Order: sequence, then structure tokens, then C-alpha cells
Amino acid sequence: MLRPVTSIRRLAGALAFCLIVPALAAAPQSPDMVKNGLHILAGIYGDMDRKLTAGQYDRLPHENQEFEEGSGALRDAVAHDPAAFKDKVEAALKESLAAAQKVADESKSHDKSKVSAALASLASSMKALNALFPPALRAEPGTVDPPWVKHQK
Amino acid sequence: MRIRHAPAVTVTRRGVLVVAVTLPLGGLFQAALAANPAKHVDLDISSDGDLLAFRPDHLSCPAGASVHLTFYHTGKYVSQDHDWVLTRPGAAEAVAQAALEASEKSRWVPGKDPRVLAATPPCAKGQQVSVDFTAPAPGDYPFLCTTPGHGAVMHGVLHVTPG
Repeated sequence: MLRPVTSIRRLAGALAFCLIVPALAAAPQSPDMVKNGLHILAGIYGDMDRKLTAGQYDRLPHENQEFEEGSGALRDAVAHDPAAFKDKVEAALKESLAAAQKVADESKSHDKSKVSAALASLASSMKALNALFPPALRAEPGTVDPPWVKHQK
Repeated sequence: MRIRHAPAVTVTRRGVLVVAVTLPLGGLFQAALAANPAKHVDLDISSDGDLLAFRPDHLSCPAGASVHLTFYHTGKYVSQDHDWVLTRPGAAEAVAQAALEASEKSRWVPGKDPRVLAATPPCAKGQQVSVDFTAPAPGDYPFLCTTPGHGAVMHGVLHVTPG
């Protein structure tokens, strides 16, 4: 039979393992590249939002193409991460890519409410994608304007 | 027959002194101008990789300088064009809005817009473009990318200092 002190130590060790492993899984190997990739996607989302506000529906398919290209930055960023984590990122990225495609498809209707709904759906999927990474690396849609934009225009 | 005489010219000592002093000074001024022609300034600026931002977002040059500005598109993934457009103070937002509404054929910058002081052609990723212009009077002049939607976040300021 184990002594109580040993049991407590083992229990504490198991608890620490359970806490540390998920934290490590969320810490990517190339944080700067991840941050850049997420910022690129969030920047393109911001551009989509401005096009929608300006009623530039015909430019939205091009933004979708840019979103697809920008996703390459995030794929490259997690290329050296463990397969399980990469799979999670890939699944979330696919959701976002499908949502961006939906924005492009709905833009053909020139219906602001439909395109807005598609854009909101894209924002939700991007939030899920961001949630896979530590908060310091995230760039959620609508929050991408870099801090240096606040100078005089 | 009447003969008209030319008016008499009185040469005073003071007049001689003024001419004697100003003539060499004028010569010196001319020589100074020749020795200090308009300053030539090379400015380099780039995109912040694939992000919608200029690096650096603040530039500086003296008034009246002959400026050669080169813009480098350092994007790697996204096939979006950028340009560099210098506007009159306070006009950046209006130019960005006009560009948003302009067609691709007009290269985004509204044609012959009096608010635009200088502009590069559009630049694709991995490429570079340049523009030559004379620096305006001292002040802060906004610059931006006029690809539709970019100007809202991709902009900066050219500080023109007294020459």
C-alpha cells in the first residue's frame, strides 16, 4: 500500500502534467510566424468589411482569393508543430476558408444583409481559429488595425 | 528745329556707394545659389510584409528637395497591389474614399486629383516602384496606399522640414 505522502506527490505530478501538456500544445514552435499569419487573415477580413461598407461587392471575390493566399502564411507557421496540433489548425482554417468563400458567393447577390451574415460567420470561424493559439498571438477580426495607424491623417 | 536734350543724370556719392556695395553682394548671392542647388534626397519605404502597413510609416525630407522615393512590396503570400500616394494635409481620408470608389482602370488614384502631390504606380508583391517629386513647403503631409480599402489602415506621414 502506498504511503499518503507518495500518493499526494503522484497526484500532484499527474495534475501538473494535465495542466502543462495542453499549455505546451497551444504554444507553437514559430510564434512570430503564427502572429503574422493571424494578422494577415484578420487584415483581409478588415478589408472585406470596408468593401462591404462601401458597397464594393464586386471586389469581395478578390478578397476571398487574398484570404486563401494569406492562409498559406498560417500553414507555413505551424508546419513544424506536432501533427495533432497541425490537424486542429488545419480543420479550423478550412472552416474559415469555407466561410470566406461564402462571403464571395453571397457578394454576387449584392444583398447587404446576406453578405453581412456571411461576414459574421467568417468572423466566428476566425475566432475559433484564434482560440487555438495563446492570446498574445491572436488577431481576431475587427481588432487588426495595428497600433501605429493612429497617427495624423 | 528744336533739339530735345536727354534729362540730366545726377550722380551722387551715396548712389555710387549703394551700387558699389550691392553689386558684389548680388554676385555673392548668385554664387551661393550655384553652390547650394536643390538638395537630392533618396527615401526608401516598404510594405510590412503582407500586412496592410508601411514600414516606416514616418518619413522626413527638407522643403524644396528633389526627392526620389522607392517603394518595395515585401509581401510573400497575398497578391494585393500597393502604391504610395502623397496628399495635401488633411486630404488623405477623402483620397482614400475616392480611391475606394474609383475603378481599377484608374489605378485607384483619382485621375489628376489636385489633392494628390505625388504617386507611384501600383506595385505587385516582390516588386519595387519609384517616384520623383519636389518636396513641398514645410509641414506634415499624409501618404497612403490607394488600393481600395487599404488607405484606412495603410498610411503614414512625410515630415517636410524647413530647407
